[in-house]
Amino acid sequence: MSSHEYVPEIATTRDGVEHEVQGWQGDFYGGKLGFWLFMLTEVLMFGAMFMVLTYYFTLHQSDYIDASASLNRVLGGFNTVVLLISALTMGLGLLKMRSGDIKGAKLMIWATIFFAFLFLGVKAIEWSLEYQHGVFLGLDALQSGNVHSKPFGQILFFGMYFTMTGLHGFHIIIGIGLMLWLLKRINADLVTPEHHILHWNIALYWDLVHLIWVFVFPYFYMIGADAGGYHIPDIGSLFGGHSNEH
Amino acid sequence: MSTNIKVDYQAEKGGYYKVLIGLLILTSITFIQPSMFLTDATFVVQLLIGLIKAIIILFYYMHLKGETLIGWTVVFAVSVVLFFFSIVIFDVKNFQFVDESHISSAVTSAGSPTAGHHSSHSDESHTTSEHTSSVSHKATHSEH
Repeated sequence: MSSHEYVPEIATTRDGVEHEVQGWQGDFYGGKLGFWLFMLTEVLMFGAMFMVLTYYFTLHQSDYIDASASLNRVLGGFNTVVLLISALTMGLGLLKMRSGDIKGAKLMIWATIFFAFLFLGVKAIEWSLEYQHGVFLGLDALQSGNVHSKPFGQILFFGMYFTMTGLHGFHIIIGIGLMLWLLKRINADLVTPEHHILHWNIALYWDLVHLIWVFVFPYFYMIGADAGGYHIPDIGSLFGGHSNEH
Repeated sequence: MSTNIKVDYQAEKGGYYKVLIGLLILTSITFIQPSMFLTDATFVVQLLIGLIKAIIILFYYMHLKGETLIGWTVVFAVSVVLFFFSIVIFDVKNFQFVDESHISSAVTSAGSPTAGHHSSHSDESHTTSEHTSSVSHKATHSEH
């Protein structure tokens, strides 16, 4: 048999009637399963990062807790709530799509995009504050002739902090791109209440991004919250003032 | 398949709001826990709250409730991660190379005997400066 010979793929109904398969585009369950498999690779990737984080946390517990105490819990907490509400708008958007309300679905996707940008904006403020405090990767070492002003464990903590929140932020940016693409497909009538697998999977992706934050937030921001009693971080530092850390 | 089933928006949106309220309550517990209760086990409590939130999100927002095949696939993948986690935790709990390794607790424990979980906030800058001097001393020493 020639390898180029066309072999039709046959699908059989429950009644035993055979049909030649023309395409799998209508395979909702297959599309969903495939996307879950992709998401599990994300779980493995972030899982490995959490493993590195836990490894160093075990070796440098007090440094980690001191470093965590210096993070801005007001901004981090605000972002947690923003992401939570964005997960709601994404879910409601999918529900509206499935119930036939395309206009409402698009509105909800735009709302989710707004919250995603809000998250990134707050993250940008947070990073710039930490940059000013010299905790951005090895910045303080570069400026002071390779002598770190922080203990080794804290440097590891901030290295992991910028890596993991950075990778998470990258996922948010990808999510915004996916939602804009989804809106384009909806406008082109390619995503409809009858064929909404793309909307379903992008909603799943957004929930995964939220899910990762559910663990990133306590691991970085909250483990040091009780070091020296709970205190609201210096709000003045939001506007360029100096924190009491230095 | 289920893609053709239309849903009633008004009937189902309530579930989404209930989940939101549940997640908000858990998030607020996250904030008050370090100063309110179980303050000796902040790390464990925080991750447990995270776990409960994750299960709620998976079951309701990600529609895993009732998905047998995908559900078990997720359980399997997470189990693999947890398996390696437990090996790593066991290994690092019995860390044998403290003396040889430069990432060892030389900075953490030898740097300052006062450094610890419960150092007060005002002490932190003091502790940090002690660390600094010990680190810079170490760096100078290694240059010679």
